[in-house]
Amino acid sequence: MASSNDGMPPAAEASSDTPAVKAELPSNERPSPAPNVPVPAAQPAPRPHDAKRAELLYEKCAEAPAGTLFFQRDLSNMDVAENMGELVNLIQELSDRHMMKLLTFENEACWKIRTRQEAESLRLMTGDERLIYQMIDAEQTRGVWSQSVRARTGQTIGAINKILKGLETKGLVQSVLSVKHPNRRMYLLKHLRPAEDIAGGPWQTDGEFDQALIEVVSKLVEQEIRRQTCIEVPAGYNAYTPEDRVEAIARKKARLQAVQDIEDAPAIKPYRPPRQHGRSNYVYKSSRTYPTPETICEFVTNKNVIKDRTITAEDVDQLLDMMVLEGRLEKVSGLGYRVPLALLERGSYNGFVDAPCGICPVFDICADDGEISARTCVYFGEWLQTESELIL
Amino acid sequence: MSYQQREPPILAKLCSLLVEETYGELAARVFSVLARHGRQTLAGLARESYLTGRQIKPGLVVLIQQHLVFHSALDPRVTYYEIDWQQSYALVRHGKILKMAEDRFGRKAANVLSNMLTFGHTRLADLKEAYFPSPEKPPSDSAEGHLNGTGIASAEVDSVNGSSGKINGNTDALTNGAAFVNGASAKLHTTADLAKKGKGKAAAEQGNDDVDMMDAEVVEEEGDPNKIQSVGDLYEIINRLGKAGWVIKVDPDQYLSPGDFHALVRQQAYDSIWTDEQAPTGTKDHALWDSRTREMKRQVRDEWYQPPKFDTRKRKPTDQDNDRSSKRQRLNGAFAPADCSMNGDTSPHINPVDDDLNLRVNFDKIGVALRTEQMTRFVEGRLGYTTSQVYRTMLCILEEHIPRCYEPWPDPPSDPKDVALNNHVDDKFLVSAREVAHKIGREFDLFDGLDPHEVVLVMGRSEVKQNHHIKPPLDPVSASLDERTRLVSCHIRLLANDPFHFATWHSRGGANAGGGRYCVEFDEIAKATIQLEIENTVAARKGRIGVKLVRALKKNGKLDERQACNVMMTTANDIREIVNEMTVQGFVQTQEIPRVDRREAKLSLHLIWYDRQRAREKLLHDTYKGMVRIVQRLSFEKEKIHELLRKAERSDVVGNETKYLRKEELDALKKWKEVEAMLLLQLFREDDLVSTLRDFIGPLVSV
Repeated sequence: MASSNDGMPPAAEASSDTPAVKAELPSNERPSPAPNVPVPAAQPAPRPHDAKRAELLYEKCAEAPAGTLFFQRDLSNMDVAENMGELVNLIQELSDRHMMKLLTFENEACWKIRTRQEAESLRLMTGDERLIYQMIDAEQTRGVWSQSVRARTGQTIGAINKILKGLETKGLVQSVLSVKHPNRRMYLLKHLRPAEDIAGGPWQTDGEFDQALIEVVSKLVEQEIRRQTCIEVPAGYNAYTPEDRVEAIARKKARLQAVQDIEDAPAIKPYRPPRQHGRSNYVYKSSRTYPTPETICEFVTNKNVIKDRTITAEDVDQLLDMMVLEGRLEKVSGLGYRVPLALLERGSYNGFVDAPCGICPVFDICADDGEISARTCVYFGEWLQTESELIL
Repeated sequence: MSYQQREPPILAKLCSLLVEETYGELAARVFSVLARHGRQTLAGLARESYLTGRQIKPGLVVLIQQHLVFHSALDPRVTYYEIDWQQSYALVRHGKILKMAEDRFGRKAANVLSNMLTFGHTRLADLKEAYFPSPEKPPSDSAEGHLNGTGIASAEVDSVNGSSGKINGNTDALTNGAAFVNGASAKLHTTADLAKKGKGKAAAEQGNDDVDMMDAEVVEEEGDPNKIQSVGDLYEIINRLGKAGWVIKVDPDQYLSPGDFHALVRQQAYDSIWTDEQAPTGTKDHALWDSRTREMKRQVRDEWYQPPKFDTRKRKPTDQDNDRSSKRQRLNGAFAPADCSMNGDTSPHINPVDDDLNLRVNFDKIGVALRTEQMTRFVEGRLGYTTSQVYRTMLCILEEHIPRCYEPWPDPPSDPKDVALNNHVDDKFLVSAREVAHKIGREFDLFDGLDPHEVVLVMGRSEVKQNHHIKPPLDPVSASLDERTRLVSCHIRLLANDPFHFATWHSRGGANAGGGRYCVEFDEIAKATIQLEIENTVAARKGRIGVKLVRALKKNGKLDERQACNVMMTTANDIREIVNEMTVQGFVQTQEIPRVDRREAKLSLHLIWYDRQRAREKLLHDTYKGMVRIVQRLSFEKEKIHELLRKAERSDVVGNETKYLRKEELDALKKWKEVEAMLLLQLFREDDLVSTLRDFIGPLVSV
């Protein structure tokens, strides 16, 4: 049953976004024949073997690929019914047994079959349940809000909630929280995946951002952008050794002074010439092309990390914007992205927060004297490894 | 009230502590009365404190000498005193300033500047007298000199006396004031020393083993030329400092508080436009008045900043000492040729026009140098050491023409469209790769921080082999000027491409520019660095998600919880707590907008927003408070080993510590030195943050 009944006919697949197939109002229990179906004036009573023939019709329909729409001409071409009147009867029969449902496609009546299990469960429902189920079914992936169910059925919210609970426990419908209206619970059939406007884009699952997915994809993207914009220069990339003593002294002296320049703050990580400390170093590539959302989107799609969802450049743009906020990427020259080099490891932030006061939890109640003051401060004591005054 | 004169109570506390630390208790008492009660007359001061007029005056003299206090006698009957907060706060920077002076002008200049910082403004003749006491000194003075220890210090005291006497005419005050000043000098030097010591430590940490052993050699060689040899030498240094704008004339108007200055200039502006019969009417007239006031303020100020005049006619035209790069790293050789001609024999070639000139240190200009250092450090974190040094060279070239970080009295901006269209930048604010290549020391490996492919392209030889190795290796030192220019312009391009836009391409600038001329948009960078420091603070406190929130709000404006979640791609639960805590800390604000008449909370919009100026002021305030705590802790730590320090400072113990002190005492002393170094270094780093937040750009108008 899982994905067999996706709600989209092959004909409509090309323009799958347009809700071309509309379900008839579920309140219309008896399917009214389509306008172009000539309804025989005198309808013969259903005969016993009609049931068999209806079964035959159903079987024939079931042979077609799942989700196929059947128009009147398709059904008559199946050669099950003798004439149009009989066909209408058969269809009526099947509809009564919930094995077929009436839809319209471009203002033409058409039918779709239900699986036997579904039909069975529908048959077991009470009238109200069935009504609500059909309402939910009609909305397909867009889902229906419990309040609008109430508006259309005119029942109390309590009763409706009870029915919806029941349907949910039977495993027929599921509920999701709408992304657009976070406090709305939307109901849709169990096997359907909610549409983007209620469940959000590819980054969201069950109405919440899928942190694991986002993390995986953003790591990939970061690596890729790093690969495209930076190169890792090994420590001895230019192994030139000018060794004479005079110059070494000059260099040493220059370096001493250079260090002093940057040293006012005790640069926690003072400069080390890359050649000496033997560590490779990231530098920006000299080419001035940067990856854009489009290229990254292509990259992510090709990587195939996101299962059964397609992502668009806009989705990637959202992700990249978020990564810029996180400081993992930076935007350069309009639409391009690159990674910051981050040469200094994050061990120090600024003068204020590197001192105990900057991150002190009781900073706001610290005073010149009293119980919490510089004299009695335990954080200063820890930092300087000295004794603070004890609070008596 | 002037933006710079607004002081939160915490700044008053900090400055009082600094004054006490530097100038002793009496000055601090007077200072704190002024800090608590604001603008006061002498009588008012006496009333508000438990001091007598006789006690207050010496304290006040010290403060005035240091320009820590404005005084205005616009009203002839009574003089008002008011604290100059900027100058008072700058006490914490003295060590740093000397360091920068040493880098730019050499050790001798730093020595002169150090005396001027410690003793306040000085008459030129007195300064000369201090360094080269004339033989016909009255005996009493020399006796005092012996008492004080070194010759220079004692003579300096005289000079202090001289000039303060000149301004105040209160001889009674002098000796006292001077005594404080003396005590002060010792302290200041310890801070400066500490700054240097920290430096040395870091240098040692570098772990460069092969050249380390040459250290002693290097130091030894530097020993001698750092002593000021002659009067000419001294004048030359002062001339150089004056030309660079680090030292300016003292003008009585500089003692006017911003409010008094404004009133004075406004009146003058009025008089220059209108007479008594015609009074200004309407908004146009008032706008004219305002703009004339600003113009005149700028005029008066620019007048102060004219470099003091020296008669240099007799100098040899070949002497290029004045044009020497302030940036250039001084190697052993670099000093020798120019300075030999300056020292000794040729010294009398330079003479001040007016020996009575009073000189003071110009903190505006020093702010510019501070900015250069900070931005260099900032770039180093982003783009690497070599690029940062290229940037530093650029900034130092520009520094010469930048008198202050930002204009406090700007004309209102003309139509923004005009500005965008007509982006004319004065030539002196442009710098080209060629100039940088000229100035930057040969010892810099300009290859570092560049794509090896680019290096090879520029050098036109070797090639990049597997794994980005350059084969055969290239010698970075022997590159020709042309090649260096092109390498430098690669670095500048890195700077320009950075999201912070450290440099902005301006024009091609002809063949000599080598890759175009660039300007630096200081204001934009200053804003960005303020933002960055706020983000750093948030990052340290709340981690990545806090920074994300601040950036999201800065980028998108006010957001409600759901929008914020969408932008940040997180769940509401994750941000709720953060928003709450950051609101308490004052970095973000929340707002509730009712949608129904009954103002039901459930139906209201709850917005979160962020204002850079607010966050900036909050962080600045917190930083001041952090500094206060450090200073307080420092004095607490000192108090704990008070006895031992007294013993260690005894003249017979100094130098013989191991002989007279027990082992525990030595250990305690060592521990104290460590603690002091740690606290002071942190204090200086917090001061760096203050300058980023406060000094590089004026108040920001929201977002």
